[in-house]
Amino acid sequence: MHIAEGFLPPLHAAAWTAAALPFVIVSAWRVNRLMRDQPQTKLLLAAAGAFAFVISALKLPSVTGSCSHATGTGLGAILFGPAVMALLGTIVLVFQALLLAHGGITTLGANVFSMAIVGPWIAYGVLRGAQGLNAPLAVSVFLAAMLGDLATYTMTAGQLALAFPDPASGIAGSFVKFLSVFAPTQLPLAVVEGLLTVVIVNFLREYSGDELQILKFPSPTVAVEARS
Amino acid sequence: MNARNGGLLLLAVALVVGSVWLGSRREGAEFTGSDGQAMAAVTTIQPDYQPWFGFIWEPPPEIASGLFALQAALGAGILGYYLGFKRGQAQGRRKHSDAGD
Repeated sequence: MHIAEGFLPPLHAAAWTAAALPFVIVSAWRVNRLMRDQPQTKLLLAAAGAFAFVISALKLPSVTGSCSHATGTGLGAILFGPAVMALLGTIVLVFQALLLAHGGITTLGANVFSMAIVGPWIAYGVLRGAQGLNAPLAVSVFLAAMLGDLATYTMTAGQLALAFPDPASGIAGSFVKFLSVFAPTQLPLAVVEGLLTVVIVNFLREYSGDELQILKFPSPTVAVEARS
Repeated sequence: MNARNGGLLLLAVALVVGSVWLGSRREGAEFTGSDGQAMAAVTTIQPDYQPWFGFIWEPPPEIASGLFALQAALGAGILGYYLGFKRGQAQGRRKHSDAGD
């Protein structure tokens, strides 16, 4: 899902940066408030960020004979609420853009939008929806992380399609083309991300009951709003 | 929980290993990155598109692999610290309450 440096026309790069910026600012404010009001969850927040860090560094092979990587942003989104992940995802993407020539500074806004905003919000929405339907927690968590991962790559395909419409079939044709590059490779990796996220949540339910209680996980309230 | 998590982890490993096995049976499978393939798709749609901005710094391949390892190590290190800390804390609590009986 990393759009490489310079691979979005200037206007698109600027528009995605403008779209992502308010989310990152609100996210920084939320993280700040979380640190102040619920300092007991600091270490868990670091662990959720670390999960995204390690999982997005691993380029895994897929059945298609290509490689790709998971995003790891679903875990933090379902624990802390999606808003918090915009900042954590941005930190990961800046590290990769500056030190690894992976992604880029001009495409940072677009990449933040797909990995640190759309993915977490979809993951969070899926968890809420699945819990609303009384699905078992493990199933809800699995679906949330998996679909959040796929949503990120779908968003990237959309961003590329908007910037590079196919001369014959337009934006829609281009979207299908980019999605067919990402989706078959990503599907098994999204399943792996879903499984790993369930493993971590299982652990947390066993050993981190106090933090989950503070965050009111998995009951349906936005974690940061829960103080009063 | 342990048995269940073990099973889930095994399943994840099996998926990755199975992917390599299935993937490498395909014609011309080189396990290139899908990000790179998408950028190549850009140039098939718009052959005259030139990236208008280059990387500020591009690490030489050997250093890049080290930095990727560093990223994974930092992530795994912090995550492992948290998991170990919580487990130890729970065990300590259990011992403490045993002693109190």
